[in-house]
Amino acid sequence: MQNPRLKSLLAAAITSAVLGWSSAPALAHHPVQAKFDKATEMSITGVVTNVDWKNPHVHVFLNVKTGTAVANWAVELESPLLLKGSGWSSTSVKPGDTLTVKGIRARDGSRQLWSESVSKGSTTLFALKDLHPAVPAKKEPAPRGADGKVMFGSAAGYWGFPSSYALVEDGVKVKMDKYGQLADLADAAKVAPLQPWALALYKKRQQRDLRDDPMFLHCKPPGGPREYQSDLGIKFVEDKVNQRVFILMGSGNHNYRIIYMDGREKVGSVTGDDDNPLYYGRAIGKWDGDALLVTTKGFNEDFWMSNGGLPHTSSLVLTERFARPDMNTLQYQVSIDDRGAYTRPWTASWTMQWVPDQEVPIHFCQDNRP
Amino acid sequence: MMSNIIRKAVLLVAGLLLAVSAGAQEGHPLKGSWIGEWKGNQASGDFLFLVLDWDGKKVSGTINPGTDDMVIKTATLNPADWTVHIEADGKAKDKPVSYTLDGKIVNLELPSRSIVGTWKSQNGSGALEVVRQ
Repeated sequence: MQNPRLKSLLAAAITSAVLGWSSAPALAHHPVQAKFDKATEMSITGVVTNVDWKNPHVHVFLNVKTGTAVANWAVELESPLLLKGSGWSSTSVKPGDTLTVKGIRARDGSRQLWSESVSKGSTTLFALKDLHPAVPAKKEPAPRGADGKVMFGSAAGYWGFPSSYALVEDGVKVKMDKYGQLADLADAAKVAPLQPWALALYKKRQQRDLRDDPMFLHCKPPGGPREYQSDLGIKFVEDKVNQRVFILMGSGNHNYRIIYMDGREKVGSVTGDDDNPLYYGRAIGKWDGDALLVTTKGFNEDFWMSNGGLPHTSSLVLTERFARPDMNTLQYQVSIDDRGAYTRPWTASWTMQWVPDQEVPIHFCQDNRP
Repeated sequence: MMSNIIRKAVLLVAGLLLAVSAGAQEGHPLKGSWIGEWKGNQASGDFLFLVLDWDGKKVSGTINPGTDDMVIKTATLNPADWTVHIEADGKAKDKPVSYTLDGKIVNLELPSRSIVGTWKSQNGSGALEVVRQ
């Protein structure tokens, strides 16, 4: 190529495309273990240079001195929501403060630390607290509306803090963390009756420390049962005039699900509804005594339906049962029928806890930053 | 000479952009549309377009849908090593042809995953690479 200007333009175009592609996943939101290695616990002491108080994770930057050399470290912390709940604010530390931070280091060896504990001298400034609301000693009855039906929602309060973060077949005992990562990969086959390809894909996702989770990586909605396994919870809004139940989410991309209660025929094809398959499928509901029964199909295949990455296909049909046996408990049971990914239908169940007098927390992932 | 280099560069950039924009597909890894080349295929041309589906029991699909389409008679995915085997019969230049494709899924975790391997028929053989769109 003789024209140096053309040559440099082409080089720039190719470089931009390559860099744009390769850097995209590195910038994205992520499960903790996808970026940080739990086996690399360490402690650093340094002077705060900046505090970046933003979703999804707060960052504090420290200048750390080693001998005569000074290096800047990025300390990544939980979301502003969880930090606030633990008594911290955007002004709890300021540039110039000297802090000691315990945490785990980034897998790529860069000067980044994930921390849940920050100290100033001998004083612990911040440590993540258990934010579960206290459960009243005496069980109060579930509230009822004018029509006598149990109400799943009310103006003040939401459902959060699931009893399980793991979508696991009823009766199976396996250990997972809150992101759905198995403590022992050998337990993968126990989690659900997966077809061979789906088991292999599930194990691959686990082996990669869930770093490909599209909910974190691309802010995809947590469709299917996953929306009921988030700390940040959900809120039921029943629109009796229009005969719909809306389920609002506090986490992920702050989305909502619609359950049609108007007796319509189910829409959405079991084989995929290729015209418009949805993240939340098409759901119709009806009352069964005090319980809300919901059947849903017409899902797309663009999301993980569980923390930890259980695969599904467009053949997925969910049958869910919501019940509120008392004021503070939401019972959730789901039957999963997906002939594309599982060898037979299976069920899972857990509970969520009522968080009174609070709005459902808002936590956006759309900014797509670490 | 220069136009050839420019053409290759534009194709490279377009390919990278296509790779970035591939739609998510978190279900069966073979499901979807795949575009690429079966190099040196003089009977059917270099361009290769695969459309694959999964019904829960078997993979089905079509090679080069359109006037030269070939219905896939066998397609398997071995999840132990993510190898793919595809057989299809059709016509090329009005003569019957049988193709066998063997490859492996590369970058399984990405929406823009690839199948890299080889093709062969009674007319010849060569390298194969298709990228999921």
